[in-house]
Amino acid sequence: MLLIRAVVRPEKKDEVLFELSQAGFHAATVIDVVGRGKQKGIKIGGVVYDEIPKALIMLAVRDEDKKDVIDVVLRAAKTGVKGAYGDGKIFVSPVEEAYTISSGAVGL
Amino acid sequence: MKEIIAVIRMNKTSATKKALVAAGVAGFTAIKVQGRGKLVESPEAIAGRKAKLMDLAIDDISEPEETEKLVTGFLDGSRLFPRRLFKIVAKDDEVSKIVDALIQANRTENRLGDGKIFVLPIYDAVRVRTGEYGEEAL
Repeated sequence: MLLIRAVVRPEKKDEVLFELSQAGFHAATVIDVVGRGKQKGIKIGGVVYDEIPKALIMLAVRDEDKKDVIDVVLRAAKTGVKGAYGDGKIFVSPVEEAYTISSGAVGL
Repeated sequence: MKEIIAVIRMNKTSATKKALVAAGVAGFTAIKVQGRGKLVESPEAIAGRKAKLMDLAIDDISEPEETEKLVTGFLDGSRLFPRRLFKIVAKDDEVSKIVDALIQANRTENRLGDGKIFVLPIYDAVRVRTGEYGEEAL
């Protein structure tokens, strides 16, 4: 199992969640976060904004679904044809165990 | 070391805190999150929940059609629900005890929506105050 964390533009959140649901990955957790990337924030005039609001979408998937989920997020979170700075990042980490609280069942 | 991520109901926060203390781990980080679970496909479960939510509506202040629209929106999976996300870093041999405590504390008779627990590996931890590494930092 893998935990996929995608940091995307907040205005793209609904689109990414909709596309994920369409692709069969309905369950997700969303956190509003602020952060900056490699570009060190945005400079407008003399003011540097380095706490840029983003949405962090977190979902646990089976190993074999990793590529599908990443493809969906890449497609839905990209702005324009070429993409732009600030479109976000995707991180993948291993999950060793998962439990459903209501049944105590092991697994997704 | 393992990181335990638990997504639970908002109103179970204090029960979870008590359960964690009882299980011997007091430290945690909690975040307010929004989320949704697996799409519920069983028609009986949806019908039952819908009837329950419709009963809660106060007819004097809301139109029945609007209430129905809202309730359907809650149940068709298009909405995100507020939840509390707990992160607990624990030693390997404490994980099963903590998971059991979390499951016991967060189970409700509603079943659907009680939450999920994930266990992830953590490679290292550092205590900022002393600079200790590894399990001593927990």
